[in-house]
Amino acid sequence: MSGGYNEIHPEPTTFWSKYIISFDHKVIAKQFLWYGIIFLGIGGLMALLIRWTLAYPGEAFPVLGHLLFPNSAGIVPPDSYAMLFTMHGTIMIFYAITPILIGAFGNYCIPLMIGARDMAFPMLNMLSFWFAFLSGLVLLASLVLPLGAAAGGWTSYPTLSTMIGSPGAGQTLWCVAIFLFGVSSTMGAVNYVTTVITLRAPGMGYFDMPLTVWGLWLTAILNAIFVPVLGAGVILLTLDRVMGTTFFLAGASATSGSGDPVLFQHVFWIFGHPEVYILILPAWGIVSDLLSFFSRKPAFGAKATALSMTAVSVLSTIVYGHHMFTTQMSPLLTQSFMTLTMTISIPSAIFFANWLGTLWKGSIRFDSPMLFSLGVVFVFGLGGLTGLHLGTVTTDLYLHDTYFVVGHFHYTMAASVLLGGYAGIYFWFPKMFGRMMNETMAKIHFWGTMIPLNGIFFGMLMVGYGGMHRRIYNPFVYDSLKRLIPINQMITISAILMGAFQIIFVINFLWSLYKGKKAPNNPWNVGTLEWTIPSPPVHHNYDVIPVVKCGPHEFGNPNLKTGRDFQYQTEELVEGPA
Amino acid sequence: MKRNELQSNLAMTVVLVSAAMLFITLFMGYAVFRSSAATWPPMGTEKVSLWLPFLSTVLIAVSSWYCYQVRLDVARKDFSAARGHLTLTTVLGVAFMLAQSGLWFHLKSTGVFVTSGIFASVMYGFTWIHAVHVVLGLFALGYLHVVLRSPTDAAMQKTINVEKFWHFLGVVWVLMFFGLFVF
Amino acid sequence: MDFLNLSVSTSWWELSKPPIDISTNGHLIDSLFTYTSVLAVFYFILVCIGLFGFSYLYSQKRNKTPLYTYGNKKKHLLITAFIGAAVFLSVDLNITRLSNNDLLDVFWKWPNPKTEKVLRVEVMAQQWMWSFRYAGPDDQFGTADDIVTNNDLRIPTNTKILFHLTSKDVIHSFFVPNVRLKVDTIPGRVTRVWWDANIPGEYDIVCAEMCGTHHYMMKAKLTVYSEEDFKVWQSTSEKLAMNTNNPDDKNLAWGWKWEY
Repeated sequence: MSGGYNEIHPEPTTFWSKYIISFDHKVIAKQFLWYGIIFLGIGGLMALLIRWTLAYPGEAFPVLGHLLFPNSAGIVPPDSYAMLFTMHGTIMIFYAITPILIGAFGNYCIPLMIGARDMAFPMLNMLSFWFAFLSGLVLLASLVLPLGAAAGGWTSYPTLSTMIGSPGAGQTLWCVAIFLFGVSSTMGAVNYVTTVITLRAPGMGYFDMPLTVWGLWLTAILNAIFVPVLGAGVILLTLDRVMGTTFFLAGASATSGSGDPVLFQHVFWIFGHPEVYILILPAWGIVSDLLSFFSRKPAFGAKATALSMTAVSVLSTIVYGHHMFTTQMSPLLTQSFMTLTMTISIPSAIFFANWLGTLWKGSIRFDSPMLFSLGVVFVFGLGGLTGLHLGTVTTDLYLHDTYFVVGHFHYTMAASVLLGGYAGIYFWFPKMFGRMMNETMAKIHFWGTMIPLNGIFFGMLMVGYGGMHRRIYNPFVYDSLKRLIPINQMITISAILMGAFQIIFVINFLWSLYKGKKAPNNPWNVGTLEWTIPSPPVHHNYDVIPVVKCGPHEFGNPNLKTGRDFQYQTEELVEGPA
Repeated sequence: MKRNELQSNLAMTVVLVSAAMLFITLFMGYAVFRSSAATWPPMGTEKVSLWLPFLSTVLIAVSSWYCYQVRLDVARKDFSAARGHLTLTTVLGVAFMLAQSGLWFHLKSTGVFVTSGIFASVMYGFTWIHAVHVVLGLFALGYLHVVLRSPTDAAMQKTINVEKFWHFLGVVWVLMFFGLFVF
Repeated sequence: MDFLNLSVSTSWWELSKPPIDISTNGHLIDSLFTYTSVLAVFYFILVCIGLFGFSYLYSQKRNKTPLYTYGNKKKHLLITAFIGAAVFLSVDLNITRLSNNDLLDVFWKWPNPKTEKVLRVEVMAQQWMWSFRYAGPDDQFGTADDIVTNNDLRIPTNTKILFHLTSKDVIHSFFVPNVRLKVDTIPGRVTRVWWDANIPGEYDIVCAEMCGTHHYMMKAKLTVYSEEDFKVWQSTSEKLAMNTNNPDDKNLAWGWKWEY
């Protein structure tokens, strides 16, 4: 059903309409990219403050400590610590990963990769960014309130997040910010879903789409369905806080009538579990494509990968209860959620097999995007497999709310998505900005990220199994946790190292932006549509809408006579051996 | 189907799915509250008199009917009739909001305050959230007034989208009427 | 400042082992964890063999011409399907079955105070402390002869201890690493947990759910006595309770009628 509304929009002329309220998907993508990278920096700094407190409790945070916490001699105070981990989670998930993976890559790649001139609804796209911007401002504003920002964890479970536990305005602003962000995400989702369905270039079937687009499309569908669930949750929470309703109050804290605090957990995780996949699906898609591109052979079982990703998306909607085993749901529910959770390993195993199948007998180039993609396979393997321990009820009774959980979801959501995001940035940077990034710095950045990253998150798995629970300001008030000090210090030092190596990325990014080598149209020798046009593309992307004649992963066909080892999607497929 | 009708329909479908998920979540919460309460309404609370909610239901149903007429008129290119029906739709929509305000005053006068517990929370909270959507719907109707004053080719598609949203609000209200007030 | 204390006598591997298991059933969780880990490590090694092995064997230097295949031949599909099925059969079914059995036959098979020797304890969590209540001589909760302690739980060995828990304000989570169990305490409802400890000593009880600024300070001491020692403590405390419990003290009035 391609061939939707696809006209050339007039090119904007003023600075304002070109860069600020731009309707151009490429500019909006860059806006989201900057937005995401800035929040990534803020969230990362918060992570360092958290880590410092855990490893060296009662010692001033070096350099910045006295500036940020003048009243406590540079030491992070306990209430600020709670705000820090709450904001770290919120910022990383909603304001760093989502804008980079979904906002930036979604906006940039979807129209270019399917041969469209822009999104289906450019104005909605612009509004989506500015709603996200507004939401970010609201969230940051809450940091300077007299009683501080929200401090109930990014999950904001009532009754802690009601007036009983969080009297300041911070939590209310958190709700408002999340709601605004939900509106922005829904707007984006409307656009992505419609664009993929209606604006594919003539000849491009669903399975001719690059897997990146598959991932982004599934993400958009999940977003449209499940973000409103969180929306409803935070509206009710806001009503509880502002109007005095009692949706989530119970027991002694509800003075009249009884709501149900656990209901919020249900609502939160009905959204929250798909959200995990919302974040990881674009990364999976990018990795699936890049593994094929840099192995110079077709993606192994591309159709099965796409269908497995779809299967995971569907399953993700019915497994959320594994986040709530310790609330003691009925045994029947508990068992059902455990069994359903376990079935996710089947599609996961299939696309892991396909990823490795893609590498098998390839001719692998280890350029930086490929290194980061291989990194994703490694860390997601670890993250996915540690999920087994947590999806199992009885081991979860011990591991729930310990650092094992923190390690697990950082491997899956932070490490994989971060590496996938870097892979995407290194890969599309030439197309986005028309210049190449420095490859040596990129490789240093990769190893400088990959090694400390495993130190951090594997260390978290270790202290978690050792019995250290989450969200504690000072673990060493417990005698039994004192033995974990050296591991905690190792984690913190790894975190500082990893943070330091991100500076190399920032330098590389900024330097390449102005001084990088001019990028050719197709620096990676890849056949998808965006590489058929100049880098950076002109305002309307395609002078002539391309006609797609073959799949996105046509590499290494021995019958090719063009002197290239790949085919553009616009070329008729050269028949290979049967 | 014309080139951008498909996009428009798809986008509206996604919007309605999103909005429906929001209300489904509310209804799910309501099911939890009701099934976990020993009696409903809880001890010491009386059922709300059906008179005002029933009036609201009639108003929004009739306005949905007129909204449907608007689309038929636009399909016939009879724009003056369409504007007339649209005005009726809007007036009934405003009347619905008045009836809802009446309901809130009535609740207050019978001693059911927002802070009086879970029953009141549901009654006020859910109708407020629906009312906010109705206000958005009224803005959409206003926008359609502007569109129909100097209609273009896109007028039909815009009418269809606004009509869908208005019907959606009606359906949600009817579900609330039966779920919250009747049973 | 001791920046990084690497000169510890034990290896990090030893350090990260969970604290000593003092319960009769904690080993079920430990062994399931080990079993899951073995399977996970097995599959992770497979992934690594593929990842590093293929990266080595099929780098551009060693393999100039890639194999042109979509991976959709019958052989390929069979291998993929086999991997999916192997994971399902070896991991999912096994772990789910084991965990299910442990859960229903042990951890959520609530001991019956009417037919077994069970010590019942009511637990009330609040920001930021744990309160414990024993029924006292009349075997009824919420009466003036209850033993009530704060942040101090004392139990005998070789006895099933059944806890009913609730919370006064926000959600907390009752976590005893040494018995491998935790359960949330939720305002407005009663949750349950039971265990049978067999090693006397002193251990930590912690709150595992974020519950406010001083979440990290919400700890209680668990003392496991031998049965004889516990009887001594119990009778002393009961006498003390009867003499000193003030029925008008609101802080003591939180007990509720024990149901089911």
